Amino acid sequence: MDEFQSEKMTDLTAQYRIAEEPYYRPVADEIRLFEAAYAVRMPMMLKGPTGCGKTRFVEHMAWRLGKPLVTLACNEDMAASDLVGRFLLDGGGTHWQDGPLTLAVRYGAICYLDEVVEARQDTTVVIHPLTDARRVLPLERRNELVQAHPDFQLVISYNPGYQSLNKDLKQSTRQRFGALDFDYPDAGVEAEIVCHESGVPADMAARLVQVAARSRNLKGHGLDEGISTRMLIHAASLVAQGIDAQAACQITLIKPLTDDPDMREALGACVAACF
Amino acid sequence: MSSVLAQALDAAGPQARLADCERSLRLFLRALWGRPVELKPLVALPGGPAVRRASFDETALRLPATWRGVPPGQGAALYRAVAAHASAHAEFGGPRFEVGTLKPIQVALVSLVEDARVEQLALARFPGLGRLWRGFHDARPGGAQTATGLMARLARALVDTAYVDDDAWVNKGRELFLAAREQWSDPGISRRIGGALGNDLGQMRVQFNFRTHVVEPAYRDDNTGLWHLPENQEPPTEDAEAMPEGARPPEEHSAQSDEQSQAAARPEEVAPGAQGEPEAASGPRLYPEWDYLIGQLRPDWCTLYDQQASAGDPRAVEAILERNHHLLQRIEAQVRRVRVERLVRLRRRLDGDTLDLDACINAAVDLRLGLAPDPRVHKLLARDRRDLSVLVLLDLSRSTNDPVPGTGTTILGLAREATALLAEAMMRMGDAFAIHGFWSNTRRQVDYFRVKDFGHAYGDLARGRLSGLQGDFSTRMGCALRHAGALLRLRQTHGRLILLITDGAPSDIDAHDPRYLTADARHAVMELRRRGIQVHCMSLDPQADDYVSRVFGKGHYTVLDRLARLPEKLPLLYLRLAG
Repeated sequence: MDEFQSEKMTDLTAQYRIAEEPYYRPVADEIRLFEAAYAVRMPMMLKGPTGCGKTRFVEHMAWRLGKPLVTLACNEDMAASDLVGRFLLDGGGTHWQDGPLTLAVRYGAICYLDEVVEARQDTTVVIHPLTDARRVLPLERRNELVQAHPDFQLVISYNPGYQSLNKDLKQSTRQRFGALDFDYPDAGVEAEIVCHESGVPADMAARLVQVAARSRNLKGHGLDEGISTRMLIHAASLVAQGIDAQAACQITLIKPLTDDPDMREALGACVAACF
Repeated sequence: MSSVLAQALDAAGPQARLADCERSLRLFLRALWGRPVELKPLVALPGGPAVRRASFDETALRLPATWRGVPPGQGAALYRAVAAHASAHAEFGGPRFEVGTLKPIQVALVSLVEDARVEQLALARFPGLGRLWRGFHDARPGGAQTATGLMARLARALVDTAYVDDDAWVNKGRELFLAAREQWSDPGISRRIGGALGNDLGQMRVQFNFRTHVVEPAYRDDNTGLWHLPENQEPPTEDAEAMPEGARPPEEHSAQSDEQSQAAARPEEVAPGAQGEPEAASGPRLYPEWDYLIGQLRPDWCTLYDQQASAGDPRAVEAILERNHHLLQRIEAQVRRVRVERLVRLRRRLDGDTLDLDACINAAVDLRLGLAPDPRVHKLLARDRRDLSVLVLLDLSRSTNDPVPGTGTTILGLAREATALLAEAMMRMGDAFAIHGFWSNTRRQVDYFRVKDFGHAYGDLARGRLSGLQGDFSTRMGCALRHAGALLRLRQTHGRLILLITDGAPSDIDAHDPRYLTADARHAVMELRRRGIQVHCMSLDPQADDYVSRVFGKGHYTVLDRLARLPEKLPLLYLRLAG
């Protein structure tokens, strides 16, 4: 019976295991901090602007800790049953289908709720009993209380830049988490990342990072967000394909970022200044 | 005065204007250096010399408001080159140099070397700026051995590595400069190298007319920001009256120290509110107006009289609706569509558009258990609660009385028809709306008419006022927009929109420079947008693309080429904007 159980468990979580090391370039001591937090299974909140490496960090940590990773991109239309699971009908009756969160809780995965503020607040509260000393997930429909597997950890990501009145985390949710701040790395490190991910030469990566730094100077002055590391990798991978750097910047950096013609012109001038 | 001036400038043909690229320039500089750079326009005074070079000091970067001889198409690159150069001074320059015992030609050369030094430092960070700057260096080897020519060649040799010159002095300058590469971060080398080169040039006895000398190439500033001259200090003894324009510290004009010639010789920013106006009484509202020539708001410049529109016959509006009942049906259909698009999902409803999966399964489970199932198994896609205030602003200038061929009515008649239909659409959408109109008869009288206010019902009174609207006078758009914005700001809704319907460019009989009121309207629109009020213009002038895009910005205007279709297009535009 035990053997059967563990076999089944392997099956269910196997697809969530990360086989190869996801590239992650540590910026400070976030790896050590996260490992310490995992050691006590502290729920973690990763804060930072879009495209700065939050998701990659979680993937890397899951690989490093050797745990499966269940990732859920949250959206407005997500109901609690999309997280915890629901009864389905079959020929003879019904059967219960675990949701991804329940799966992670039951079999000991790291569950990563990406952009958690996008989920409705009544959905967010299902994680509350998991994020305090109880570490349980009540499945009301099934009349079951799932005790979290010792390996289970909850991680959420949160972009403070999006803050608006109706999209913010409630204090009762926030205070359950430890938080790591993420930001775009320093120029040297960011260039190293761009280099590694795209294969462009170091000086090209450095120049692209220069362009991004220019755009980040305009955050709050016409731009909601500057150019992210993810966008830089897009630009660099086009350059690696033999596309002219300025054209690549137009396609991957400036045009996706803004529709304001003055802003596009100013950013275009910055790109021209950097190459 | 400003319009006379502008006309005089216009006479010189089309030329590059700062106003066209000022915003992107500001953004560019902030992006480059990570701090704001104050930009101010420099305007030549009547009778004074044209502004030929930019200037900077610790507070601001002053750029010629227009650039004689530069076609508008090349203006953006020139202004960008100027701004990048002058801001490189601010970034990499040291404290101002003391003139001390330097001769004027040495002052000019120290400035030239300093220009090259800060450019090299900027190039280390932004190599692409070199391409921008090199485009303006057109000095060539050969030609007369004038100091001006040699200096232009030296300027090029110091920043253009590919440039080859045959002159020993130019090459010496380049060698000295490149040999000091390691010390480029020290402004002292500019003084050392420039002083030595100036000395050489003096000994070569080349021709140099200080009076006519202008710093070359055009993107370089006049260098006054580099030099420090304590007040009352005697100018350098030799050639004292003849410092080149490019290197003349402000106080140096002692030879003609009376104020007028000083002002004529030194272009300055025009003082704001120079033509000060007595304050009006408390009843009428005073609004500022933007003067693009001085780059400032003229405070309390326009007087606006806010009043209720005079009543007409509400049955005229009924007739419009009857006549357009097909259109009204289309609008209604469109409203339904838009309302469906903004949906929220309400679960577990007795009725609704789709089944709620979870509720259905529970019901099925209950059935199999022999229990009475919960009948609430539907999901309802409901409209999101709307939170928008729309202010419709009608241009009531005299030109709206012009008949529109083929319709048997006037522009105002069409606008009235369109507004009546729009009002129906807004009522059906459930948005709060107001209908206002305006005309202007000089800045002393901007009349603002209220047809319907936000708080009031759209009933016979409002319909009567709508049909009673008349057209007269002119279109002082900025002032009316500011007032509309002030009213809209009081609305506590999330979305706030001004929908302006106009048949022409901003104009008034006391504004002769066509750009003046256009620039003011643009300023008013930008200001409103900063405060979270969207402004969209429905222009009835088929030739309007040029100025409406400048005033309202891309995507914030609609130009109607067939006036007759206004009653149909306006409600649809609103539904697109609001949906």
